[in-house]
Amino acid sequence: MFQIEIEHLNKSYGHARVLKDISLQVPLGAFVALVGPSGCGKSTLLRTIAGLEKITSGTLKIAGVVVNDKPPRERDVAMVFQSYALYPHMTVEDNMTYALRLRHRPKREIAERVADVAEILGLGLLLGRTPRALSGGQRQRVAMGRAIIRDPKAFLFDEPLSNLDASLRVKMRGEIRKLHQRLGATSVYVTHDQIEAMTMADMVVVLRDGAIEQVGAPLTLYQQPVNRFVAGFIGSPAMNFVPAILVDDGNSLLLGGDAACRLRLGQRRAPGRAVLAGLRPEHLTLGGVGKAQTFAARVESVEGTGSMTFIEMSIAHGATAGAGDAVMLTLAQSGISTVRPGDRVTVGIDPADIYVFDPDSGLALQADPAP
Amino acid sequence: MKRSLLTGVAVVLAALYLFPVYWMFVTAMKTSGEIFQYPPAFWPASPHFQFRAVFASYNLGRYIWNSLLIATGTTAITIVLGTGAAYALAYVRGFAVNVALFAILMLQVLPPSLMVTPIFVAFNQVGLLEWPRVAVVLATAAKTLPFYIILCRATFTQVPRELRDAALVDGNSRVGAFLHIILPLARNGILITGVLVFLQSFGEYVYSRSLIADKELQTATVGLSTFLGADANDWVGLMTYSSLYVTPILLIFVVLQRRIVSGLTSGALK
Amino acid sequence: MISQLLKTLRDGDGFEAALVLAAIGYLLVFAAFPLVYNIVMSFQEVDMFSLASFDRPFRGLDNYRDLIQRPEAWEILRNTIIFVSCSVVFQLGLGFALALFFQLDFPGAGAIRGLFLAGWVMPGLVVGAIWKWIFAGDFGVLNYALHSAGLIDKNIFWLSDPAYALAAVTIANIWLGIPFNMILLSVGLAGIPEDIYEAAELDGANRWQRFMSITVPLMGSTLGAVISLGIIFTLQQFDLVAALTQGGPANASNIAQYWSWQMSFQTYEISAGSVVATLMIAVVVVVAAIYVRSVQHEHSA
Ligand SMILES: Nc1ncnc2c1ncn2[C@@H]1O[C@H](COP(=O)(O)OP(=O)(O)O)[C@@H](O)[C@H]1O
Ligand SMILES: [Mg+2]
Repeated sequence: MFQIEIEHLNKSYGHARVLKDISLQVPLGAFVALVGPSGCGKSTLLRTIAGLEKITSGTLKIAGVVVNDKPPRERDVAMVFQSYALYPHMTVEDNMTYALRLRHRPKREIAERVADVAEILGLGLLLGRTPRALSGGQRQRVAMGRAIIRDPKAFLFDEPLSNLDASLRVKMRGEIRKLHQRLGATSVYVTHDQIEAMTMADMVVVLRDGAIEQVGAPLTLYQQPVNRFVAGFIGSPAMNFVPAILVDDGNSLLLGGDAACRLRLGQRRAPGRAVLAGLRPEHLTLGGVGKAQTFAARVESVEGTGSMTFIEMSIAHGATAGAGDAVMLTLAQSGISTVRPGDRVTVGIDPADIYVFDPDSGLALQADPAP
Repeated sequence: MKRSLLTGVAVVLAALYLFPVYWMFVTAMKTSGEIFQYPPAFWPASPHFQFRAVFASYNLGRYIWNSLLIATGTTAITIVLGTGAAYALAYVRGFAVNVALFAILMLQVLPPSLMVTPIFVAFNQVGLLEWPRVAVVLATAAKTLPFYIILCRATFTQVPRELRDAALVDGNSRVGAFLHIILPLARNGILITGVLVFLQSFGEYVYSRSLIADKELQTATVGLSTFLGADANDWVGLMTYSSLYVTPILLIFVVLQRRIVSGLTSGALK
Repeated sequence: MISQLLKTLRDGDGFEAALVLAAIGYLLVFAAFPLVYNIVMSFQEVDMFSLASFDRPFRGLDNYRDLIQRPEAWEILRNTIIFVSCSVVFQLGLGFALALFFQLDFPGAGAIRGLFLAGWVMPGLVVGAIWKWIFAGDFGVLNYALHSAGLIDKNIFWLSDPAYALAAVTIANIWLGIPFNMILLSVGLAGIPEDIYEAAELDGANRWQRFMSITVPLMGSTLGAVISLGIIFTLQQFDLVAALTQGGPANASNIAQYWSWQMSFQTYEISAGSVVATLMIAVVVVVAAIYVRSVQHEHSA
């Protein structure tokens, strides 16, 4: 059972195509994150669902009903805006009850709901204030309250946490997640922050330039990115991409085309061509342990946060690349590291953790069980 | 020390500039003999006003009443037609909107003294001059409407569009979102711009002079101009007339000064 | 069909469209139509007798030819140019000086500056009446002031002396235009970030150099807008002429917009009035287009 169904949706502003052939199905009760770089059309997609933007072609169904031509008020969705969009001339209570009053709900019911929501969000003491008199975090809560006081068919969030400071953001992440577990309402959550998407959602949709790149559970996107864009976008710090050549009948590759950096692959790929090797910083280890195989590198810079250390390195001698055109890699390690710039180190990686991409199309190269 | 000196200079400059206004009030407080003294007195020997006499002899009540009627009618038409248009032009984007805005800007600059000829002829042909004050209201509103739309639009652009979006998602129609959410938030700008339109039409001259033939229906400006003929010499009376006419305008201005200045500056250059 | 219309009016773009169309419709009838009608009449024979007629003789360009052959045409054109250019130059100069002065940081700057607008809210006709009294020949306070300062020894008959009438109207108009210029220029000045001046000061620029190298170039588009608006407002000025001189004596202070009105409403040469109006409107529209451009330029900058 799908709560929101989008089929071949297109949206253009004049000649600019902002959404390109989007098809997406959001299961009832799911928490779906739309993630992608800024300007990729996330807000536009969300606003078409809300009915704030007309779609150019395609169909959009909410709870099984085609809503293409319905105005927002007939779609019964609730939305939390990035700027919160609280009505400045109304008190917190009036802000939250506005939708219910528009629907002429009985006074008693409205009062009960306000009490409930205020309790859930800890807004009890603020009900009589105007938005002006609230802090950023409090405004954010009121915006949430205005959405959950209704019992809408879906919640739409447009980067609701991006105006909060870092620690509050982490806290609210958890609270929104808990709220979702408690209410079980279908939610579409837009963010440009992949960590937010990965930690909050059941299902992540990666958008780029108005088109869907991949849809999947957070860990699926992490483990099986379909292309270089998704692989680079999901995970922090970002995946290293290193030009490489497949050798050994597709069972190994040479990083930077250098015979000294020969890595066996977990699974065989179709042989005989130049590829891009994808190595996640957190999969690289210094020295190499267990099943890891190793190659040599030179430390260029070290950044430590205490809990994590990020080591920037160049591969010893890039034979394919021109002189001085060294291949750079980032390695992420927990804790504090003792290496210094200039050190020669041995770097290890598990064969199963090596991703391989086509350098032209960017598509992930799947295992090729032949020969 | 140096800064308060600057304040002193500023006060002197303002006093110099406002001297004509001062001179109007002082003259109004003199006697008919006093004004022809040489050298002129910068403060009357025994200040007194001749409000009543001027009101009666110049038929001022009648004139002011006509001016009020015309200003009220003009302001009403302007606000009713202009507010919605200003909102729509602030919230909708696109080529057509740019064209409309350009056209409105162009209509704002048309000098009434040049437009009055075709308006007079056309109104005469369709019989509108039978109701001369209505004719003046209709013509003046065509002048104040573009001015009002442009200033008000600046106010509406300050109201975030996400508020309208929130109202729509909360279940309102576009009409409702406009009336309940956007309009209340633009209230101050609308009020100030409305006051400016009222003041402008309260002092309107060209259309009243040209479209109203009946003396009983003429406005305070036209009245003043007829008494101002070449042989005018009752300067006490004329300055009393002027003082009575502009004092309410100046009072409104003083009360709303800060907002008028900021409203004007936000709209005029945008 | 009807229900669909209602729906788009309530929930669709129809609502905004209807709001704009209502205003535009009004302006089409009461502003755009007269504008076109004016042009039409400038090619027709319109006088007392054909005033109410819908079928008037067509005269082509004859009205225009007749007009430029009138002896007073060139004098009035010259007056108009002097009136506009002197008004704009002095309004701008004095307004800019005042704006710069009030830009200095001292107590009460904003409030005192606001007082200047009092002149701007007063009806033009009242301002004209006051100036008429100030300009009065025998008992006017201006002549007294000039005497006391030793600048003149015989009274100037500002309004009845052909040598001074245009100057009198211009002075009153400058007075009227100063506050608006000053306020707009103040806004422009306030828009120049303080740190640019500080950087220039660190670079060793003195006050005058900072003014010439920062203020003037950065005020460029504001100045363009203010000059255009000054021209537009000056070309709209009618009340002062009506109150002060009525164009006299013998057209010495007559300007195009007043002349147009005189011909239409006092001598009933409506065709001729329309010709002048058409030509003047063309000028105003060109200036307004420059104004709009400079404002848009400022926005994209
Ligand atoms: N009203 C509009 N007119 C024209 N282009 C628009 C409009 N709204 C958004 N866009 C364009 O659509 C693209 C996607 O915008 P948006 O959905 O806001 O991106 P995101 O939320 O992912 O940052 C952007 O390139 C933006 O410039
Ligand atoms: Mg966005």
